[in-house]
Amino acid sequence: MADSLPTEFDVIIIGTGLPESILAAACSRSGQRVLHLDSRSYYGGNWASFNFSGLLSWLKEYQQKSDVAEESTASWQGLIHETEEAITLRKTDETIQHTEVFCYANQDMDDKIEETDALQKNPSSLTSSTLTKPLDSACLSEETHSYVTSYEMPAKDIPKNDGEISLEVSGVEGTLAEEKYCGDETCRHTVSGGDTDENKPIEEDNTDQLKRNRITYSQIVKESRRFNIDLVSKLLYSQGLLIDLLIKSNVSRYAEFKNVTRILAFREGKVEQVPCSRADVFNSKELTMVEKRILMKFLTFCLDYEQHPDQYQAFMQCSFSEYLKTKKLTPNLQHFVLHSIAMTESSCTTIDGLKATKNFLQCLGRFGNTPFLFPLYGQGEIPQCFCRMCAVFGGIYCLRHKVQCLVVDKESGRCKAIIDHLGQRINAKYFIVEDSYLSEKTCSNIQYKQISRAVLITDQSILKTDSDQQISILIVPPADSGTCAVRVTELCSSTMTCMKDTYLVHLTCSSSKTAREDLESVVKKLFTPYTEAAINEEELTKPRLLWALYFNMRDSSGVSRSSYNGLPSNVYVCSGPDCGLGNEHAVKQAETLFREIFPSEEFCPPPPNPEDIIFDGDDKQPEVSGTNNIIMAKLDSSEGSKNLESPGKHLEN
Amino acid sequence: MQAAHKEHLYKLLVIGDLGVGKTSIIKRYVHQNFSSHYRATIGVDFALKVLHWDPETVVRLQLWDIAGQERFGNMTRVYYREAMGAFIVFDVTRPATFEAVTKWKNDLDSKLSLPNGKPVSVVLLANKCDQGKDVLTNNGLKMDQFCKEHGFVGWFETSAKENINIDEASRCLVKHILANECDLMESIEPDVVKPHLTSPKIVSCSSCAKSYRPQFWRATVLEGQRLPCYFLLGFGHGL
Ligand SMILES: Cc1cc2nc3c(=O)[nH]c(=O)nc-3n(C[C@H](O)[C@H](O)[C@H](O)COP(=O)(O)OP(=O)(O)OC[C@H]3O[C@@H](n4cnc5c(N)ncnc54)[C@H](O)[C@@H]3O)c2cc1C
Ligand SMILES: Nc1nc2c(ncn2[C@@H]2O[C@H](COP(=O)(O)OP(=O)(O)OP(=O)(O)O)[C@@H](O)[C@H]2O)c(=O)[nH]1
Ligand SMILES: [Mg+2]
Repeated sequence: MADSLPTEFDVIIIGTGLPESILAAACSRSGQRVLHLDSRSYYGGNWASFNFSGLLSWLKEYQQKSDVAEESTASWQGLIHETEEAITLRKTDETIQHTEVFCYANQDMDDKIEETDALQKNPSSLTSSTLTKPLDSACLSEETHSYVTSYEMPAKDIPKNDGEISLEVSGVEGTLAEEKYCGDETCRHTVSGGDTDENKPIEEDNTDQLKRNRITYSQIVKESRRFNIDLVSKLLYSQGLLIDLLIKSNVSRYAEFKNVTRILAFREGKVEQVPCSRADVFNSKELTMVEKRILMKFLTFCLDYEQHPDQYQAFMQCSFSEYLKTKKLTPNLQHFVLHSIAMTESSCTTIDGLKATKNFLQCLGRFGNTPFLFPLYGQGEIPQCFCRMCAVFGGIYCLRHKVQCLVVDKESGRCKAIIDHLGQRINAKYFIVEDSYLSEKTCSNIQYKQISRAVLITDQSILKTDSDQQISILIVPPADSGTCAVRVTELCSSTMTCMKDTYLVHLTCSSSKTAREDLESVVKKLFTPYTEAAINEEELTKPRLLWALYFNMRDSSGVSRSSYNGLPSNVYVCSGPDCGLGNEHAVKQAETLFREIFPSEEFCPPPPNPEDIIFDGDDKQPEVSGTNNIIMAKLDSSEGSKNLESPGKHLEN
Repeated sequence: MQAAHKEHLYKLLVIGDLGVGKTSIIKRYVHQNFSSHYRATIGVDFALKVLHWDPETVVRLQLWDIAGQERFGNMTRVYYREAMGAFIVFDVTRPATFEAVTKWKNDLDSKLSLPNGKPVSVVLLANKCDQGKDVLTNNGLKMDQFCKEHGFVGWFETSAKENINIDEASRCLVKHILANECDLMESIEPDVVKPHLTSPKIVSCSSCAKSYRPQFWRATVLEGQRLPCYFLLGFGHGL
């Protein structure tokens, strides 16, 4: 299907993460010829989401990358003229580290696996290994590499080096919480379930006393496609920059969202729901009438705190948490406001805390009663929506396309071309490169931050209610002052990110150690490992962990352009995902870069024509048809036909 | 509209190699015209065709053309997502475009299946049959066999230029989709938010309680017309 790639473009974009994809859409929309490349086989880079098998393959890739020697590619040296020099790009991605996988669900082989996904035939490739380096809390240095592989299940024969375990191994049962770490040749083995013996036979395998759904590993594998597991866990603020951009550019037509339904808080070992709308406050059973009144008063003040400087000016120097104490808020309320509404660290200033609270309150109610939206099918859809927009306006897409180097004209000091893995030279005027593609040499001055991530598949919600289809966000405050708050997002199956009767839970914090070290304590507080054996009442109330993945991801969001060595002025750098909850960083970065490159162009204007569908709202009242409170769409055919023609015309002349 | 009407909205994909006539077919079908002037498809996302299927049923087809990204074989999930059927088009005068048909079909099946796990219905179009060079397809039996083997629900010799068989091909596809739909009693997603640029497009469909999710777009909001803060609703005074 492919003919040969054109060799002249206005803009070449390397990396399909969110900021790059927004830029691609913006450039293409303003009439630039865009070539958008990614070295990987999927869209989104570290913003991608995967089905379950896809995630396992992703893990494997990181394992293989560390094993595989450099691929042979067409050499580029001969293609550089005397008047030019080359800036080589990185050959392997090094942004993901310390991947560790644990499977708690029953891996009983009796239930036949009917693999539905072509991606991966062997469901057992659960193993992972990564480029690893010691992450000490003080300095996250980038240099040393050692290999850590973690195995999630006992296997009779662990292959020597590739760390693959075949599920054909029979008699693999009773996989309680086990963790194995293999450093070099020796395997250390710990059992996290306390005193559980790994070889203990399963008691009463067919007990029905636990009426809870039993999800087995093979079911997860079989339903692989129901999962859309995000590498980054973010939400959209309903009045945030991303939602505004989606609407303004009409890229929103490719996406659908659900409202986050609950804001939760974790206090004194208990998960509770935070009342944040007025109705919530009124209906809250946790709050006394006095508390309700105080909280409403305070929140109302926050909405236009700028108008009442007298109320906070004296506290400008102290932290938001100190300030809250002065507002007669009970400890309960202070906790809610600080962690669940402002969602700030305790150390944040009064002004920032007020700002965050105001932002939260303003976002309430645009689409529902929490300020957040979650994209159906996962965050990984969003970059692809912008890519589709770019393609619709003529952008050309090539995945699995590596770039060996940037070609710089010595005299002008400007980049003029790239050389790809086929040895083809492709010319352009502007180059946009995602941070992870830049070589160690280019990045030698940079100290990257890290993000700690966990992905869990569980069998129940962390706060059960009548509805099992809740989307919740929970901030767990730091246990001690040196560490960061952990953000927990729990997704239900109607978000199209996990199979029925399971929940997909994302944990995120900025790293001080490895992801597991940073997050495991929170996981243990909220969940209990899945086990077939009888468990006590207290444990039963907690959701059970079926599967868990930990990894660290590089956070390049804080890096300033000037810290990169020797990049020509027409090479622009986008960063990978940041640790924040929203997508504001990515949108701001894309817009800033676009304005720098094309100062006179509009950033992502609406498409030339409205949608094909228009509505007959003129002559009739919106009809309440049947039970749904819904207006019917009706096509105006002349509009429709205009629509097919004009955008093309618009670009042709 | 009468209350008795059943409404269906289907997303259909139109796939195939460069220059086989995808855009021409859509133009012919939706706008009843044809241009022999070739230009690469730019700026077009999808076109809408309304079929009055029978006295009770209206079918709206969203025909999604492929944009520049397909040339190198990397479609976004956004393109495939929630499609109910597809046309795979080849050019009878260029055998290479027929070779690519299986590749497109495999790609489609690997990325898209109906909520019940079955593959979506696909009709094969042997386009430009007006050219009289249809060496490939003059063996109808062989084509039937090919379709059976590769899971196409049917095939048609079409011409966008002469308007041959395009309506028929579409009817064939829609027939299969309607038949399939009875199986798709999949739960419908309530509360899906579709933020939009224009008009309070609260789009949905009365009769399709059993039909397809994209029709259940609910809350939408006008740009620049921020809803009042929910938190404040009802506060008349004080505070
Ligand atoms: C939690 C809370 C919410 C408030 N909401 C409003 C408001 O929406 N509009 C406003 O003008 N003032 C509101 N106020 C302000 C309050 O009504 C003023 O303080 C009032 O002027 C003082 O009246 P009161 O002393 O009779 O208060 P209270 O007797 O304490 O009553 C508070 C008021 O809230 C009403 N109320 C109780 N539950 C609900 C509910 N679920 N939904 C709607 N109203 C309810 C009561 O009927 C009453 O009018 C609210 C106060 C609080 C503490
Ligand atoms: N004779 C004849 N020519 C056709 C027919 N259909 C399309 N063409 C011509 O084939 C060329 C390509 O048609 P398009 O509709 O642009 O093809 P496409 O598949 O949309 O092309 P891309 O968007 O570039 O992939 C145009 O010059 C059309 O005029 C047909 O049925 N008969
Ligand atoms: Mg076309």
